Amino acid sequence: MTGFRLADGGRIDRRTKRNFTFDGKARWGYAGDSLASALLAQGQMLFGRSFKYHRPRGILGAGVEEPNALVTVDRGPGRVTPNLRAPSVAIHDGLKAVSQNRFPTLKTDLIAVNNVLSAFFPAGFYNKTFMWPRAAWEKVYEPIIRRLAGLGDSPTTRDPDHYDATYAHCETLVVGAGPAGIAAALEAAATGGRVILIDEQEEIGGGALSDPAQWAWLAEASAKLAAMDNVTVLSRTTAIGHYHQNFVVAAERLTDHLAVNEAEGPREKLWRIRAGEVVLAMGAIERPLVFEGNDVPGVMLASAAKTFALRYGVAVGRKVVVMAVHDSGWRDALALHKAGVNIAAIVDLRRDVASDLIEGARDARIACYQGYAVTSISGGQAVKGVTIALAGFGKGQQLDCDAVLMAGGWTPTVHLWSHAKGTLRWDEAWGAFVPDKTHENLRCVGACAGAWSFGKGLPGGLLPAPKPLHESKAFVDFQNDVKARDIGLAVQEGFRSIEHIKRYTTNGMATDQGKTSNLNGLQIASGVLHRPVTEIGLTTFRPPYTPQSFGAILGHHKEALFQPLRKTVIDDWAASHGAVYENVAQWRRARFFPQGSEDMDAAVARECRTVRSAVGVFDASTLGKIEVVGSDAAEFLNRMYTNPWKSLEPGRCRYGLLLGEHGFIIDDGVSARLAPDRFHLTTTTGGAARVLNMMEDYLQTEWSDLDVWLTSTTEQWAVIAVQGPKARRVIEPLMEGIDLSPEAFPHMAVREGRICGVETRLFRVSFTGELGFEVNVPAEHGRMVWEAIWAEGQKHGAVAYGTETMHVLRAEKGFIIVGQDTDGTITPDDAGLGWAVGKKKPDFVGKRSLARPDIVAPGRKQLVGLLTDDPQAVLEEGAQIVADPNQPVPMTMLGHVTSSYHSATLGRSIAMALVAGGRDRMGETLHIPMPAGTISAKVVAPMFYDPEGSRLNG
Amino acid sequence: MVEIAEIAVSAAELKLGTEPVQGDGVRLSHADPKARYSLRARDAKVLAAVIGRALPGKIGDTDGGIACLGPDEWYALLPAGTDLPRVEGLPASVVDVSSRALGLVLEGPGALAVLSSGCPLDLAKMGVGRATRTVFETVEIVVWREAEDRWHVEVWRSFATWLWNAFLAVMPHAK
Repeated sequence: MTGFRLADGGRIDRRTKRNFTFDGKARWGYAGDSLASALLAQGQMLFGRSFKYHRPRGILGAGVEEPNALVTVDRGPGRVTPNLRAPSVAIHDGLKAVSQNRFPTLKTDLIAVNNVLSAFFPAGFYNKTFMWPRAAWEKVYEPIIRRLAGLGDSPTTRDPDHYDATYAHCETLVVGAGPAGIAAALEAAATGGRVILIDEQEEIGGGALSDPAQWAWLAEASAKLAAMDNVTVLSRTTAIGHYHQNFVVAAERLTDHLAVNEAEGPREKLWRIRAGEVVLAMGAIERPLVFEGNDVPGVMLASAAKTFALRYGVAVGRKVVVMAVHDSGWRDALALHKAGVNIAAIVDLRRDVASDLIEGARDARIACYQGYAVTSISGGQAVKGVTIALAGFGKGQQLDCDAVLMAGGWTPTVHLWSHAKGTLRWDEAWGAFVPDKTHENLRCVGACAGAWSFGKGLPGGLLPAPKPLHESKAFVDFQNDVKARDIGLAVQEGFRSIEHIKRYTTNGMATDQGKTSNLNGLQIASGVLHRPVTEIGLTTFRPPYTPQSFGAILGHHKEALFQPLRKTVIDDWAASHGAVYENVAQWRRARFFPQGSEDMDAAVARECRTVRSAVGVFDASTLGKIEVVGSDAAEFLNRMYTNPWKSLEPGRCRYGLLLGEHGFIIDDGVSARLAPDRFHLTTTTGGAARVLNMMEDYLQTEWSDLDVWLTSTTEQWAVIAVQGPKARRVIEPLMEGIDLSPEAFPHMAVREGRICGVETRLFRVSFTGELGFEVNVPAEHGRMVWEAIWAEGQKHGAVAYGTETMHVLRAEKGFIIVGQDTDGTITPDDAGLGWAVGKKKPDFVGKRSLARPDIVAPGRKQLVGLLTDDPQAVLEEGAQIVADPNQPVPMTMLGHVTSSYHSATLGRSIAMALVAGGRDRMGETLHIPMPAGTISAKVVAPMFYDPEGSRLNG
Repeated sequence: MVEIAEIAVSAAELKLGTEPVQGDGVRLSHADPKARYSLRARDAKVLAAVIGRALPGKIGDTDGGIACLGPDEWYALLPAGTDLPRVEGLPASVVDVSSRALGLVLEGPGALAVLSSGCPLDLAKMGVGRATRTVFETVEIVVWREAEDRWHVEVWRSFATWLWNAFLAVMPHAK
């Protein structure tokens, strides 16, 4: 037992006890304690096991920089959070915290054998050792390494919490509410603008919380901020990242500090803040020193010990030695002494230390060892003493102690500054990078700007030692178990850039992102390479500043609200008629309408037969629609689509094929000319937004001279397809003002009129090969018109059919579906749609690409039909096609099956496929190897039913 | 393999409310039916002459139920049944989109916070009588500030169910 609660002091409430458990054992602390301070007060020094060697570890820091003391907090089923930093966990009644990375217990960890064998686990060990034999990786190495690797356990159940999110705007955003941040917020607030002040800790104050002399000022400033209605103060809120144009994302923790039964409402809230000016007041983090045994529990940052004593009233040891290379260590030692902590000695590598510090130590009867360095620590799970030596090489001298404080200087917290692409400059006095220039309206104040006096010190963190570097166990990155010698090894292996050294050693790549290790690693590399730090570079800081829950980032976008599910106005009708749905883009569409005990195959077969023999009704409302209006509308479409549009007469429709600049098919649809300067376009369901964007792009950037405007009308019109030989008879009684006779209203024509008393755009088009109409009505009337058509259809034996039947019917006719029978690398000719390319047109989007050598080369994949030798065998879509099934693996793959169905109409299976040189293979037998055996099929034209198209005239 | 439980309510089960919902300081309801037109023109005067109505000149301004959304784009939100003439032979476009969108209304002192939760614009600084096209999270909307505490939100029909429920999720104590 080493740490203990001081008799007085701290901001804790000593009248309010809080009971919690750590590794299942009952513990207690006071209201205001962190998990770290409460456990330290009870003598707990061992907090976790290290990632790689499973070395026992204690507390290093008192803030978010803590690399060692990672705990899992269990708030009930689905509410288990791993990798929380013990100093940042507020205790409450019933808190259940568990240590990590140990088996079976923290004190007796069997995997610590890695530590004994550590000589066999140098940096790069995994990369080198587990390369061979190749096959062993998946079966042996990876499963074992995976079990040992990783910190904490992933969640295994659905997160029952919900998360809030909002946007917020302010003239000034201040990140960090220490003295500098509070001053900046007060100053900005006085001008009357909106101010948001955010801070990650339980209460605002930052470093002032560890300095009782500032508490009166802090109370006054806090009250003043709270009273100003233009100021929003958010504590327990972490600024995760800074993005373009002063967009700062922050996560507020709302309930984790409360007992489970007191927690109400969302767990966290995501603040998406756009600020006129951002003031970063994020402070600085003290640097550890790098020496043999610097990771033994009880070795920690001097600033941490000061915070534990002055903010929480906890002494970290009964006999404390300070190892400093910086004045701040002396100041902290004196503050600790004043708070009642027994400081046995101050060791400083520097011979010259300011006289006021030396006098202060002498007055406090603290032994001073100037010019000395700690060379080793005795003790395994707790500090028992230190060895110090003059300049690190002299004769060793033992000092008894139970805690060692490191004062290695300070690193300004420039993370958000760097997110904003602010540049950094090396500051010799700090031995660190400080902010330099930025193009955002952004500035740093206080310690993170390098504008704070912690005193003077040496820049480097590696202490001189009697052992050569490659023999020492002096840690740089505590969380990833990177030692100084690993950095030496990386350099020896030939790595020069810090980006490479980082990845080879994993220095700074743990969940703390190197908050305490980056600069020490950099300076050690600089020393080994004999090059200045500025030539070695600094790794890039990336969001999030500290680990962040996915929940807050998702906000309300979870479960039912994850993303919009779009339904047509006929969807409810389909639901009440037993529709089975499928999702297409964001839409849900009725796939088929089973009756009784029908499965999909039976329902689709019935629906197909009925459409071919009588009539079917289909909800096609999801088709993308664009109204193209303006005197240059025809010219515009002529440039966009492959086929000619200028000659299309009003009242007629045309199939349009849309290519990208690359010459490949990206969309298609039937469009109608309603008037000389007005077209009604249709696109695929999934392509609607993409096509509109592409057309707008061309219009705004290439052809801004054209008088034409595009309006999305996808949702304006409900579309009811009525298809089958009796289609005309179904709609005829409902129509007003449109002559439906074949002479007056031929195939591929459009008419405007009325149906059931509402306006309609009636298309005579067919995606089934049957006589067909598509009834467009304003969406608000869609359901009424659907029901009227349905009622009329019942007199003619109509079925409602879904997308699956639609797919079968169109495949029987060889009509393609873009994205199913094409894959973004298919030209019109590949798809057998060469007829849709206007040969005489001077230009259209994609035309030039169609002349590229590889596009005109023979042997391209072409769309063909496949008829299996066994008429009942239905090929699997996506299955690969080969010419010779006996060829040894890997076989030469000629292409793949794109569409495949059982056709009830034909009484056999049909398929379409993309096959290399497919049209030259008509009549050939090809093979489709499947797990259950090879299926053979004959290549045919992709047209299986009514090739002469006589049924369209039904 | 970890088995994750089914969610309690799926997106398919969300319903578009029909009756107004009251939360603390904010009420969500449907707007009255409207006639809606997308109006485009190279020259506002040509368009104004065709439809016989004044057009607001600045982006974000509104005038007589017509909002200017872009340099060549206006959006008319007029009493149901209003008929605007189709343009022919002029450099302008009038398209009836009455059925494309639904209007939702958020009103009360808490309405701004509800809308701001998912809209990235600084709506507090948007003047009464101003309108703009924007998004609520991932869904495109047109926001029209009709009064200090009354916001008309236009949303495409098939996104309305999601938006209605997304508003409910951020309305305090909605019932």
